[in-house]
Amino acid sequence: MTAGRTLNLNLHLLDRQVVGPDDRLVCKVDDVELEPDESGRLVVTAILVGPRALGPRLGGRLGRWTAAIADRLAADRDAGPHRIDMRVVTEIGSAVRVDRTREDLAVAPLEQWVDEHVVRRIPGSRHESE
Amino acid sequence: MRASELLGKEVRDRDGTPVGVVTDLRCVQDGPPRGHLAALRVDALLISRAHSGTLLGYDRGRSQGPALLRAIVRRLHRGARTIDWDRVSRYDGDAVELDLSLGPVSPGD
Repeated sequence: MTAGRTLNLNLHLLDRQVVGPDDRLVCKVDDVELEPDESGRLVVTAILVGPRALGPRLGGRLGRWTAAIADRLAADRDAGPHRIDMRVVTEIGSAVRVDRTREDLAVAPLEQWVDEHVVRRIPGSRHESE
Repeated sequence: MRASELLGKEVRDRDGTPVGVVTDLRCVQDGPPRGHLAALRVDALLISRAHSGTLLGYDRGRSQGPALLRAIVRRLHRGARTIDWDRVSRYDGDAVELDLSLGPVSPGD
């Protein structure tokens, strides 16, 4: 029986760049969605993107503040973080490749702006390895 | 749920003894196809002690070289364990609970 490939979510997926078929950056993996399957095993179902995904990872007051601001600026407050379903992923290597461009995936321009100009400039918001 | 809810979470064994925190989630690409790839399924927890204790070598007078780095890395990885997902009895509470007894991670691990 062929063993499936193994990878570690924190090491190989979180904070990785997501690139489209044109090699242009789509976003970064801010968190990963897990759903139980019929046998109770957790399956990776989506990449989560944006301040509403990253905020909770920052933790503490900083994280709650980040998520609260993102919620206020969001067009749909109940929607949760931006979600990229794993079915568009074509490859997981040094970057995560998807079969759609950033425009196709509607990685929300406003969320991206907040992410780049507010969240990522906050001291301590970067991944330890950066 | 999100991976970030599990990462960093305390892990307790069947007796309620804290045995570390979740540092990573190992996945196997063995699920049914989801788009282009087989689905990734969590098959193990990687856990480590929450506190590594003092690092070796800070009080050394000699130059610090690769041997020191190796010693530090070894020290940091003491108490690291891989626990099959099958041994997880509960993961949605304030800690991940296992169905086996591990005892506390000792310095000699």
